[in-house]
Amino acid sequence: MRSILTIILNDLQIFFSQRGNLPGLLIIPVLLTLVIGWSLGQIGGGGPMRLRVDLIDLDQSGMSAKLIEDLRAANDAIVLCPLDNDAEDFCSLGEEPLQLERAIERARTGRASALIVIPAGYAAALEAFEIISVDYYSLSDPMQPGPVLQSLNAVLQRASTASMTTGVADALLTNLTAAFELPPLGAETRDGFLGALYLRSQEMLTEQPAPVRFQVADAESASEDGSMNGFNQSAPGMGTLYVMFTVLGGMAVLLRERSQWTLQRLMALPLSRAQILGAKIGVYFSLGMIQYFIVFAVGAALGMDFGSSPAAILAVMAAFVLCITALTFALAPWIKSEGQARGLVLLLSLSLAPLGGAWWPLEIVPEFMQTLGHLSPVAWAMDGFHDLIWYNGGFTDVLPEVGVLIAAAVVLFAIGIRRFKYE
Amino acid sequence: MQLMVEARNLRKTYKRPDGSSIEAVKGVDLEIRQGEIFSLLGPNGAGKTTTISMISGLVEPTEGDASIGGYSITKEPMAAKRLMGFVPQEIALYPELSARQNLAFFGRMYGLGGKELGRRVDELLEFVDLSDRQNDRIDTFSGGMKRRINLAAGLLNNPPLVYMDEPTVGIDPQNRRRVLDTVKLLRDEHNMTVLYTTHLMEEAQELSDRVGIIDHGEIIAMGTQDELVQQVGEEDRLEITIGAQEIAESHLERMQQETAGVTRILCNPPEQVSDDSSESMPAKLTVFAKRGRTALPQILQDLDSAGVEIQSVAVREPDLEAVFLALTGRALRD
Ligand SMILES: Nc1ncnc2c1ncn2[C@@H]1O[C@H](COP(=O)(O)OP(=O)(O)O)[C@@H](O)[C@H]1O
Ligand SMILES: [Mg+2]
Repeated sequence: MRSILTIILNDLQIFFSQRGNLPGLLIIPVLLTLVIGWSLGQIGGGGPMRLRVDLIDLDQSGMSAKLIEDLRAANDAIVLCPLDNDAEDFCSLGEEPLQLERAIERARTGRASALIVIPAGYAAALEAFEIISVDYYSLSDPMQPGPVLQSLNAVLQRASTASMTTGVADALLTNLTAAFELPPLGAETRDGFLGALYLRSQEMLTEQPAPVRFQVADAESASEDGSMNGFNQSAPGMGTLYVMFTVLGGMAVLLRERSQWTLQRLMALPLSRAQILGAKIGVYFSLGMIQYFIVFAVGAALGMDFGSSPAAILAVMAAFVLCITALTFALAPWIKSEGQARGLVLLLSLSLAPLGGAWWPLEIVPEFMQTLGHLSPVAWAMDGFHDLIWYNGGFTDVLPEVGVLIAAAVVLFAIGIRRFKYE
Repeated sequence: MQLMVEARNLRKTYKRPDGSSIEAVKGVDLEIRQGEIFSLLGPNGAGKTTTISMISGLVEPTEGDASIGGYSITKEPMAAKRLMGFVPQEIALYPELSARQNLAFFGRMYGLGGKELGRRVDELLEFVDLSDRQNDRIDTFSGGMKRRINLAAGLLNNPPLVYMDEPTVGIDPQNRRRVLDTVKLLRDEHNMTVLYTTHLMEEAQELSDRVGIIDHGEIIAMGTQDELVQQVGEEDRLEITIGAQEIAESHLERMQQETAGVTRILCNPPEQVSDDSSESMPAKLTVFAKRGRTALPQILQDLDSAGVEIQSVAVREPDLEAVFLALTGRALRD
């Protein structure tokens, strides 16, 4: 184990002593993170902090319209689909109308952050002070409510509190009229009074901070300073792209170590082949993690969000780096020259990155491109980061992504280890 | 006598990318005794590196096995490798690191650390006389200096056995001298066993207690230098460089028959004898003769009367070159 660590440290020292490696590790990814982060921020959040929320209103009443309006006001990152869809089809609806079944499917697959269904009879129930539930579908953890659920809760709480206030006033009015034997109010006057009371209490509740207001306010302040949203996409994206550049570059280094005979010298030492291979895998895994840390550190300095589970972010990073390290070892045996290796690194990085949504979020591309994009490990890593950073998800939310990346790593390592060229 | 290295029937077949295969080593047996310098002498491509790679565990033999100090290199590689130092033909060093960093790294891989490691590295830098350049990067070194650090890196574990694969390739005469002296020092003062490969007859001649001659993947002769020379008969060699005139095959044959003591005449390169007379490339005649100096005047007279221009003449006592030539019909250097 000590020899493995010694080799890893030695190889890292060599990597850092080659000045040619520093632009690719440090300067370019940091610059790109900044530039892309800012420009994504400039174009109105560039998508990342706009939350696609499907909404189906089965009530079509004044009350439900009010609820919708309140939702918009509560969090302007929320884009209600299909109501507030834009010309670019941010909702990604295409030509078809949004039926309940399709909407549930979209929420289940995470293609929409959430689905809110306002049931028929919503207004009637509120007026009669009866219990009615608004259905909410989302992938995110109900224990760690995301911004959409928080907004919805705040709005519903307001609606029901106002409704309750009105109900109490109504009862009071009836009782007072009876107790003091006053002439009954005309139905119109009475309704007008109660309606005004309902609105007034809503207003007052809106002015007063709701108990969950702070989280909602957080999302709002984030969208005021658009640049921050941009880094939520650009830091994970550029980190992921440059992890590929850096780690895949190992193909050329492995080749060079064989041609300059330092690999053979290691084999003449009292080390097992497993130790040597383990050390070399460790080297590229470490480099990948270092690359992520550098870019995320820049993101952190510029105020990007880290969600609520840094450990889960670390898990996504580690799974992706492992997958790319395995890809490096699976390809290395077929490489004949350093030039060929460099070409392949460029080809793979520059095709897998955009395909998988490293430059721009996959949410904004057509559906078939999103499906196709998931051939790229980048898509799985980015999905994981989005779950954690945008939707405030937890460890369980990224288990599928981490699982897919590790499964791919296992398959690729099986090829790479069997074919590894020691001679 | 105790054997340090014993190899039995080593074979290595390489697959070429085009699907064909090449048998680089064809059943080599080796016995290297404790405390000797054993040279493996053969031209480029003879299979020296492949052999040394198999007996050091770098390459798995297609067939056969080797042991170091009694430990099988294929079955107990760790124990075997601990007894072994290795100086590869390539400069197997990290060019980006300093001489000291390189040595310290390989030292750590042998489990050295702390003061002990520092002392050993100092010792070796002193030994190859590069203490003053220890903190410079390897890629700033001359070829000779790299060779010396490459050698030092093979001695970190102070091994009883060291393999050196053509350690003088591509260096100037001064550095070569230094390396050769170092090899003798390792045997004489550090009691090491050395396996030394080279394609240079002079090096094998100067260093070796015993020599194995390898060609086309086979050991074609093995023994002390005296034994090898006796094996081919104690003939002198007359090396005569001639202008590019035509010499008839029959003329050479007649010379061989009529001159007393001459046993064989080779012409290198052979095609120069009849073809290409327009080219001014000189050809070389090698005449094998008992008592070469006695036969020389008549041979020169013969050539002169045939109108052959003689450019230079050398008389060589029997040596390893002669052994190789006698066994293969080719010169070592070709
Ligand atoms: N990895 C390899 N793949 C294919 N052929 C090889 C390989 N290594 C050596 N050879 C071939 O094996 C033969 C012996 O090579 P080598 O052992 O390097 O000879 P030497 O060290 O005596 O110059 C050569 O013909 C060489 O081309
Ligand atoms: Mg060689």
